[in-house]
Amino acid sequence: MLEMTIHEKACRGCQLCLDVCPTDCFTFDEVTQKAQVAVVENCIECLSCSFICPSLAISHKNHHQVKNFYRNIEFSRRMEKFL
Amino acid sequence: MDEILKKRRTLQETMNFMAALSAGIEPILGRGANSMTMSAGRKLGRSFSAKAKRTEDLMQAIDEVRNILEANNCLWGFEPFKPKSQGEFVTYTPEGDAQLLLVFRDCMIRQALLRFGHPQQGSLCNMMYGFFAGALEAIMGKKATLEIKHAGENSCLKLLTVKM
Repeated sequence: MLEMTIHEKACRGCQLCLDVCPTDCFTFDEVTQKAQVAVVENCIECLSCSFICPSLAISHKNHHQVKNFYRNIEFSRRMEKFL
Repeated sequence: MDEILKKRRTLQETMNFMAALSAGIEPILGRGANSMTMSAGRKLGRSFSAKAKRTEDLMQAIDEVRNILEANNCLWGFEPFKPKSQGEFVTYTPEGDAQLLLVFRDCMIRQALLRFGHPQQGSLCNMMYGFFAGALEAIMGKKATLEIKHAGENSCLKLLTVKM
């Protein structure tokens, strides 16, 4: 099961994660002025939030990670017929 | 092992070559580049789906497209997505067109080109739109569009619309 966490002390409250998330996983807490994970079930694991976060406060666990062709032996074997 | 490493490099270079071709045609043809790759994708989708099972049901048609891709060793998996607040996968526009959100994780562009600086949502991405349009045209007998809602670093969210 996917886990997504925001490091509370690292979050600067810039709201870039709220802007970039296509499925509205985050909310903004007006009191603490920090982003919060609201609906983790909506996360499509695009990782745009963790890439855009200026303080690297967002982390994901148990997510699918795209492998590059040149690193993925299994993929290379399956693609042999196109070479 | 050396043989596999050689094949990996060859595959990567093939994709680099495709990216160079795509980057080269875009400034010259403009939006025409997208039409060209869309048309190529549609032709591929139609020919791959020539013997596919015909259905009127969108979810079954999507499964059929997945089978077609796998049968042709195209391991660019996708899955239907619905936000938690939404009841069903398939929604309908006021005009009556069926819509379905799809998440694409592995694809040729992200796997081979993203880390080499090739931009997303270009003419190569448009080929997948063409593929879906062609495949669904053959399977459902209906026109379809595949709009990129979000191109992320690890997955993309696309909106499939089928004219009913």
